[in-house]
This record gives sequence, C-alpha cells and structure tokens, in this order.
Amino acid sequence: MRRRIINLAGFALLLLIPVFLKSRPSFIGYINLAIIYAIAAEGLNLLIGVSGQISLGHAAFMAIGGYTSAILVMSLHVPSIVAIICGVIVSAFFGFIIGFPALRLKGFYLAIATMALGTAVTDIIRRLSITGGDQGLRNIPPIKIFNFSFSSEFSKYYLFLVLLILAVILIRNFLRGKGGMGLRAMRDSEFGAVSYGVNISYYKVLAFVISSALAGLAGALYAHSVSYLGPSNFGLALSIDFLAITIIGGLGTIGGPILGSVLWIIVPRLFGTRLESMATVIFGVILIIVVLTLPHGLYELIGKLNKLFRRTSQEQ
Amino acid sequence: MFNIIFRGLATGAIYSLTATGIVLILSTTNVMNFAQGDTGMLLAYVAFLFIARRVPPILTLPVVVIAGILLGLVVDRGLMSKAKKSSHLGMVMITLAFTMIFEGIVATFFGNTPLLFPPLISGDPFIIGSTVFDRQNLLTIFIALVIFVVLFFVLYRTKIGIAARSIADDEYGAYVLGVPINRITNFIWALSFGVAGIAGLVTAPRLSLEPTFMVVVQLKAFIAAVLGGMNSVMGAILGGLILGVLENFIAYYIPAIKDSFSLILVVLILLFLPNGIFGKRETRRF
Repeated sequence: MRRRIINLAGFALLLLIPVFLKSRPSFIGYINLAIIYAIAAEGLNLLIGVSGQISLGHAAFMAIGGYTSAILVMSLHVPSIVAIICGVIVSAFFGFIIGFPALRLKGFYLAIATMALGTAVTDIIRRLSITGGDQGLRNIPPIKIFNFSFSSEFSKYYLFLVLLILAVILIRNFLRGKGGMGLRAMRDSEFGAVSYGVNISYYKVLAFVISSALAGLAGALYAHSVSYLGPSNFGLALSIDFLAITIIGGLGTIGGPILGSVLWIIVPRLFGTRLESMATVIFGVILIIVVLTLPHGLYELIGKLNKLFRRTSQEQ
Repeated sequence: MFNIIFRGLATGAIYSLTATGIVLILSTTNVMNFAQGDTGMLLAYVAFLFIARRVPPILTLPVVVIAGILLGLVVDRGLMSKAKKSSHLGMVMITLAFTMIFEGIVATFFGNTPLLFPPLISGDPFIIGSTVFDRQNLLTIFIALVIFVVLFFVLYRTKIGIAARSIADDEYGAYVLGVPINRITNFIWALSFGVAGIAGLVTAPRLSLEPTFMVVVQLKAFIAAVLGGMNSVMGAILGGLILGVLENFIAYYIPAIKDSFSLILVVLILLFLPNGIFGKRETRRF
C-alpha cells in the first residue's frame, strides 16, 4: 500500500516536472535527452547486467534505428510512427545477425568484435550517399501522430516518458518471467544453465535482439527529437558512455540506467559550456569510485539510504 | 611495391607497439586495457609541452618513457590492485574510465583543435632504387625494433620476465612457487605504459595531435593482437606488422574498402581462427 502511494507520488512528480520548468524549455530538452539515453541504456543493461555479455557497439544500433526511421520519413514520406517501428525492427534484425557471432565469442573477444562492428557501421554510414555521408541528415521532421506534431519540448517530454515507462514495464515483466531467469542463469554459470536445460543459444541471441531493439527505439526518438544525425555522434565514445551510464547507475537493476542517464545529462550542465570536457573527467572519476566502492552502482546507494531511513523511523 | 611494404612496416610497427602493451597486461593480469592508446595520447601531449619549450623532439623520448612508467606504477598501485578484489569487469571499466579522464583532461587544457606535432627527425629521405625511405618511418621501425629486442631480453632472459610469463601461464601456480605477484604485475603495468608512451610519440607526427588520435590506432592494435592470438607478445608484434602491410596494400589496390577491411578481417578471424595465427591453443580457465 505504502509502496503504491510512493509510486503514484513519483509518477505525479514526473508529470509535473515540465510545469515547474516552464520558464526554461532548454532544461526540458536535456531531460528528454536523458530519457532517450535511459531507453538505450536499459537495453545495454539487459545485455551486460542481466545476461552477462559485453557490447562495445551499442551506439551503432542506435544509429541504425535512427537512420532507418529518418530516411523512411524523409525520402519515402512514411508516417513517423510506422517509420519508428521500422527503425526498431531493422535494428533488432541487426542485433539478431550480430547475436550469432556472439554465440562463439566470449569476454574480450566479444568486446573486440562488437567494437569492430560498431566502428564498421559508422564507417559504412559515412560512405553511403543516402545517409548524407559525413554531413549527416539535417532537418528531420518531428514525430507526428494523427496530425499532432510533437515539436515542442513539452509534448516530447510526455511522449518519451510514456515510452520509457512502457519499456521499463515490459523489461520488468520479461525479467520476472522465464526469459529473465534464463538470462540470469546464463550469466551466473553457462555450464550450470545448460545442464538445467536452458537453451543458451536462444537466450544469447534473444538478449542481443531485445537490447538492439531498445537502442533502435532510442535512436529513432533521438533522430526525430534532435532533427540531426551525423555519423560522428555514434562512434565508439557513445558506446563507452552507455557502458559507463549502465555501470554507474547499477548493473542488473532496472532503475540504475535511468539514474545513470540523468546523472550523465546533468553533470556536464553544472560546468557550463566552457568546461564541458571537464565533465568527462568527473564522470570518469565517478565511474572509478563506483567500481571500487559500489559494485551494484548508485542504485544500491538509494536502497541503502532507504533502509537506513526505515530503520531510524522504526526506532523512533 | 617496396614503397608499399616499407610504409606498411612503419604503420605496422606502431600497431605492434600498442598491441604489445595490450597483450603484456592482458596475459599477466587478464585485464583488457582499453586505455593503452589514450595513455599514449596523453604522453604525446606531455612531450608536446616539452617541444613547445624548444626541446628537440627526439629528446622527449626518454621523458615520455619515464612519465609512462611512473603513470603505470601509480595506476597499478593506486587502483588496479584495489579493484582486483571486487570484480573483473570492474577492472576493465576502470581502464575505460581512464580513456574518459585522459581525453577529458587533454580536451580541457589543449582544446579539441588538432595541433601540429613536429617529426621526431627531419631531413631528406634516403632513396635506394625506386624505394623512398622516409626518415620518420625509418626511425619508427628502428625504435620499434629496439623495443622488441629489449622486451624479448626482459621477458626471456631476466628473472622478472620469467616470473611475469609464469603468472601469465598460471597465476595460482606462480603464487604457490613464491612469485611476488603484486610486484611483477606492477612492473608489467609500468613497462606497458612506457611502451604506450613511445607508441604515442611515434604516432603523433603521422597524424595530428588531438584528443582522439590514438583511438583508431588502438582499435587496429586490438585487431593485431587478435591476429597474434591475444596471449603471446611475439604474436602481437607479427600481427601488427602483417596488419600494417596488408592495410597499405589494400589502400593502394582497393581503396574503397580501406577502412572497413581490418574490421571485417577481425570478425572473420574471431569466428574461424579464434586462437589467431600464432596463438597457442587456449586452455580453459575455470
């Protein structure tokens, strides 16, 4: 009961955030970006935190989803919802293809292979003419549903929020079911999972498909929200950023990636535009501290605080 | 023809230098060091500071090596030995954090605009027949050769090297036989960061100095290490040289796939020759 009240209060707060920040729409823009990152990071978390496979090419899937959706809308004039869904499907399909080499590779080798594939994707995007080459795609139209165009930051905020909540609910249900158990069994001991009859090949590919579908969704939303796509935005650096977001937030937790992305977006703003590169340093330091002291990320810290709070309130 | 091979060898020497550092750390501590390239980048900027004070470029070489060794010692003593207790992924993540920190520091103090790094050695190229021997490339190959010889001497003829190889073979076994694991690991990090500095210094004049100039080199070094089988320094050296020469041939004859070639190559090798060309057969570690 109490938990439900907290959830409802949190939800109401989320709905009210834009009202408080009405005077600063640019800030809502940053929150929107954080939501997009969170969706992608949730996908990566599923891959690394839950199924135990590393990927250094996550940004490439985001690029695939974004470019697919943008090209469909711009040159084929497909309605944007259909285009976004197509982006997700294409991205999931690429995840499916890349899942197969992943069956044979482990640990470092998988990291190198995904890194190479990620770099190859941006390389190919740079060479094709339909993707605009090095210049990238400009003036991508905003998302449009039944003549309502999501062009203001407020409307985008609500749309993205709904999608993020949907994604979180889907992931949570998936993790509670047979799929989640299979993935976790595989992470903890592949050998043990096999002997309990878990179909490892199926679950490995499934993890890649789901994670790249989420990255594709994030990419498509990014494309229509920022209205510009360039190959250099989706390089190795972004993949490493996602990894950092997931680990700082908390591996294997659902709230972790969201926390990580919010931090990721807010920390650079504290330094202003002049010292923006300093934020990377701070983030690296945070990452090291988290790795050394909090193996389950900052999300663990919230849990600990919560426990502490409850204990003190009981003592009174 | 010989021109291509020569230039390929010079490129390959850079890949080999970076790859050796990666393999050294990977085989003794089982950590994939994603910061190898960016360490070189940072140290190249250190060298640039000295060059801006009118120090002749070639004299920055010892500076870079010493700075690299110190950095390696600090990194291992301060962080890696502590992170060893927590998780393995954590150690790899720390190296990724280093790439963020190093790139951030450099971008803050020097900006993102490419700087011109002077060649370590200037002068007219030697020309023998139709082959042009550029001095900078010759120097690169020469430095790499010296480093390789030193590395071989250290790894195969000194007590420390033998201890390091024994850790790579079987850490627990080495520990039981009284090998001081922490000290050897420390030594290996220092050695590897020193080599990273040299790699950064010889790469900087070929590309321009910017915060991300070693990222591509590091990716190629990973590929070279995969070619060599990930667990032998010898394999990494040969893998780097082969990759450099192959790449230059491809760039000359089929320029369209110049950049994607090595990426496709690595995926194919990982799929069909998981032990690389020279790698020993992998023993399973439990």
